[in-house]
Amino acid sequence: MFETFKNAWRRRDLIMSFAMRDIKARYKQTALGAAWAVLQPLSMMLVFTAVFSLFAKIPSDGVPYPVFAYSGLLFWIFFANVLSGGTVAMVANSPLIRKIYFPRETLLIAVIMAGALDLVIASMLFAALLAYYKITVALSILWVIPLLILQMVFSLGMISLLSAIHVNFRDIGHGLPLLSQLWMFATPVAYPLSVVPNWILPIYMLNPMTPIIDGYRRAILHGKPPDFGALSVAAILIVICCGVALTVFKRAEGTFADVI
Amino acid sequence: MSNTAIELSHVSKRYRLRRGWYVNSLKDEVGRLSARLLGRRVEPRADFWALKDVSFSLDRGEVLGIVGANGAGKSTLLKIISQVTVPTSGSFVARGRLGALIEVGAGFHPDLTGRENISLNGSIMGMSRREIQNKFDQIVAFAEIEKFVDTPVKHYSSGMQMRLGFAVAAHTDPDILLIDEILAVGDASFQAKCLNKLAELKQQEKTIILVTHNLANMREHAKTVLWIDHGQVRMAGDPDVVVDAYLEHMTAGMPAERVGTLAASGWVSHDVVVLGVDTCNEREQPQIKFDRGDVVCIDITYSAPAPVPGAVFGVSILDIHGYPLGGIVTDPDSVKIAAIADREVLRLTLDPLLLNKGTYTLNVYVSDPVLRKYYDFKRKVVKLIVDGPKAAAPDATGYIYYPHHWEQMK
Repeated sequence: MFETFKNAWRRRDLIMSFAMRDIKARYKQTALGAAWAVLQPLSMMLVFTAVFSLFAKIPSDGVPYPVFAYSGLLFWIFFANVLSGGTVAMVANSPLIRKIYFPRETLLIAVIMAGALDLVIASMLFAALLAYYKITVALSILWVIPLLILQMVFSLGMISLLSAIHVNFRDIGHGLPLLSQLWMFATPVAYPLSVVPNWILPIYMLNPMTPIIDGYRRAILHGKPPDFGALSVAAILIVICCGVALTVFKRAEGTFADVI
Repeated sequence: MSNTAIELSHVSKRYRLRRGWYVNSLKDEVGRLSARLLGRRVEPRADFWALKDVSFSLDRGEVLGIVGANGAGKSTLLKIISQVTVPTSGSFVARGRLGALIEVGAGFHPDLTGRENISLNGSIMGMSRREIQNKFDQIVAFAEIEKFVDTPVKHYSSGMQMRLGFAVAAHTDPDILLIDEILAVGDASFQAKCLNKLAELKQQEKTIILVTHNLANMREHAKTVLWIDHGQVRMAGDPDVVVDAYLEHMTAGMPAERVGTLAASGWVSHDVVVLGVDTCNEREQPQIKFDRGDVVCIDITYSAPAPVPGAVFGVSILDIHGYPLGGIVTDPDSVKIAAIADREVLRLTLDPLLLNKGTYTLNVYVSDPVLRKYYDFKRKVVKLIVDGPKAAAPDATGYIYYPHHWEQMK
């Protein structure tokens, strides 16, 4: 895994080129351009506010529900977009993969980078929401940085595994939107962790995205550090998952060109 | 430090053939697995060996040419060398930065501009951002796209895309360069430019692997030629020797075509039928190999059940690729086809033969130029090998020899 990151650093120009290509290509010939990065979390936030807050009266830990939902959606959408973009990255670039050699994981890291830009754009609306609801952030907001790194490592692990499988079995492409939706409801995005019944917590907390999403909320909205106990379990899971996934990916890489 | 740039030992590559093998579905695999568990016989996967036990090594600064029929495994070999795919067995080592001109422009994104694509393609091929910046103007000038640098590549003509692709690849400054059939595309002036670039790279002692069907280029540039046949190395060594053997092999199947591939098409009427074509020398001895300047007699045996007024016999000479170099036809007034029961022979004498070294084939046909109809048409009916001290002399290039003299005018 360490080797992969060292290699990736050496080919950082390539990663940036791929990321720039993805970003430019995505917003070329669109009327709204980068506004799409904001529209996705914004519209979901509005729907969630209507359904979960107005109709179902879900509590939101004392924070106005729109801010609460947006804080979760902002990071979840980053994760979900990387998942969907990364899984198909090999197949989407099949002309390249069939013809030219380059470390294939650069495509995956580029997907994460391009997603990160959308995250930055969408964060601007988040900042505006915080100001509108007069929520002041504490220094604990710096916890967002290690949480983001952890989330990106986890995403990389997930997409290296999923994309390697996708090359061989296109079923993954069909199943992924479903998986990603189910996963969102298994993560405290639309509702707070405090409403999850105790008996299910041991299983619920095994989802590495749970302490991460919860951690962002604590750090930004509540001025508290993340839950270190749950987070360290997640971190161990993430490192193991990423290590295994990258090994599988590098092993499968050699025959991508034959089966893609 | 070793002087070897590329080394392959016992490299084999197997492809699995399955119905729709390139888009597997999980259902397929689950089906196979459950059938096996239930003790049912599973149809074995068909294997296809694209390469079998290929070994060779290439020194730094050498130019290797690879020839072979379509599907012989040349592309698979290049894919292994360029590390796009891994061999099923055997080992492969390459020392130095590798540049591939396998399919130019494979890395282009249609929505991005020429400028954006240059930096994208350059970084895919391993150039740093600084290197790309430094070479940007050279690349644009080489590709001759100055005016369109900021236009999306999807609006480029295919020629422009190809030029840009070659320009980027040629400027990556690789130690080992793979060139697959790129010299065959582009207009004449761009081809000349590519050949000059190739010569320049040769001078810089780059290691080059050249795959092309243009055998003249191969003879000129390669130091060694490798002939791949059905996934195996059939022959390796001196370009002239290997290319000649390859040509000999490729044209060996020709007598089978004597029947005429167009005969059954209804395209010809068979009022006159060419039964056979043979070549001999002036002493009436059958011969297919001649030197330039020799006398070549071409005997066309034909039959015609009824008189055919206005019929014209034609012979065209084709190069090894099947391009016509020139043709000769009879004058209907001097050669008349009267009704004959069995067979008659018409002789065409080339005196002298003005072809340079090479392998040529002949088309022989009988037609009526006024009625615009063909009585018979035999494609590549006979082979003519031109070689010898005169044909191989360095005073002439190309196919045709022009009787000439040089004179320095005061």
